[in-house]
Amino acid sequence: MAAPLELSCWGGGWGLPSVHSDSLVVMAYAKFSGAPLKVNVIDNTWRGSRGDVPVLTTEDNTISQPAKILNFLRKQKYNADYELSAKQGADTLAYIALLEEKLLPAVLHTFWVESDNYFTVTKPWFASRMPFPLSLILPGRMSKGALTRILLTRGEPPLYHLREVEAQIYRDAKECLNLLSNRLGTSQFFFGDMPSTLDAYVFGFLAPLYKVRFPKVQLQEHLKQLSNLCRFCDDILNSYFRVSLGDG
Amino acid sequence: MCLLIWLVIDIFLPCVPVSTAAEPWPENATLYQQLKGEQILLSDNAASLAVQAFLQMCNLPIKVVCRANAEYMSPSGKVPFIHVGNQVVSELGPIVQFVKAKGHSLSDGLDEVQKAEMKAYMELVNNMLLTAELYLQWCDDATVGEITHARYGSPYPWPLNHILAYQKQWEVKRKMKAIGWGNKTLDQVLEDVDQCCQALSQRLGTQPYFFNKQPTELDALVFGHLYTILTTQMTNDELSEKVKNYSNLLAFCRRIEQHYFGKGSSSIRLS
Repeated sequence: MAAPLELSCWGGGWGLPSVHSDSLVVMAYAKFSGAPLKVNVIDNTWRGSRGDVPVLTTEDNTISQPAKILNFLRKQKYNADYELSAKQGADTLAYIALLEEKLLPAVLHTFWVESDNYFTVTKPWFASRMPFPLSLILPGRMSKGALTRILLTRGEPPLYHLREVEAQIYRDAKECLNLLSNRLGTSQFFFGDMPSTLDAYVFGFLAPLYKVRFPKVQLQEHLKQLSNLCRFCDDILNSYFRVSLGDG
Repeated sequence: MCLLIWLVIDIFLPCVPVSTAAEPWPENATLYQQLKGEQILLSDNAASLAVQAFLQMCNLPIKVVCRANAEYMSPSGKVPFIHVGNQVVSELGPIVQFVKAKGHSLSDGLDEVQKAEMKAYMELVNNMLLTAELYLQWCDDATVGEITHARYGSPYPWPLNHILAYQKQWEVKRKMKAIGWGNKTLDQVLEDVDQCCQALSQRLGTQPYFFNKQPTELDALVFGHLYTILTTQMTNDELSEKVKNYSNLLAFCRRIEQHYFGKGSSSIRLS
């Protein structure tokens, strides 16, 4: 427990500690559970593979993927779900599945596939944090990965075009946002007064969508109409990330 | 060849289910799936059973027809699909919408928060249980060699049976890789199944159905998957053992089986 835990992740911007959803989920969880993480922001000089980011490094091993990192932190007694009942724990898993199936494709599309957004915002931002010549190759690969994921999970075989899926994934994402807003209601967090794993995931997915300035903004506009979700993101940013905003 | 058939079906058999909502449910509605004894796989059987359970819960008659090329007849490439009047609709989600447009719904009595929960739990089942079933069928070498390849290709002559099976396996593996399951071991997948069952068990608690007295499409979906897992013979029993750990889930499956399918429902054996 006393061993230093280092998290390598993508950096921040637009008022966020990180613009990358997975990184943000881990950072938020660490703040909620009180885990002492040393955050190393990836820049040009970072040597490791960027495919697995965020990556948690401890004395003995290296863990990637948010779900595994959170499991590890829980085993180290940094548990943000301590106060939850069994049913609330079950609800957490279900809502995370909902986020991944319904919201994530549209978020990936907004960041990595929509050409205006990708070429004017996403690609330059990520490329500036990678050394040449990776900066020429890796953003393209990440974009292709996002497109593949969208087509393979939401597309239908094999005569299938992105435009048809686009309408469907944005419809699903808007419905998901409405469901989240209904579920949150007027509470501060999803399960009462203390933030938990679900709050970390929702924050991780919503905050970049809320704050990053994109040219094509249909999902962002929809999110901004759901004032309780915006208030949720702002509250977490102000309460837990105020000190590190200066690094973003 | 299959691509050509698929093209023809796609052009000549439109499947949008929205407009003819006014027509009542006909007596000759049919559900198509693959051949029960020799061909159908775990995940497709689960999906088909879920739709059958849902229609039974809505009290809508349906006749089950088995065809070797059901997957290719389906408008989305996935089974099962139902043929009602002159409409063809596939997969549980669209079928629920279609049935709702005809005036039958199981979830009308739920409030907004409950509807959100229902959708979330349905995604959980799709995200974890269905993906785990696909992983076991297509990415676990023992199962693939002993069961899946033989069953999937069984209606076709050599060499088509091998080609189609390998093609499908390649597609599934690509999808697994895209969603981050490519590097998972079988033990990790079984661990995920356990987590999912635990969540379902905790949500169900001591109630008869997930939303207390009345079953909804979530109950149909969970029943379809759990019952199929429990009654299908695989190379080992680890998957069904995970489900058997939760007695309220077993009672839930028995309750739905007895209430909606009468006694003596078939248990599928894959050999």
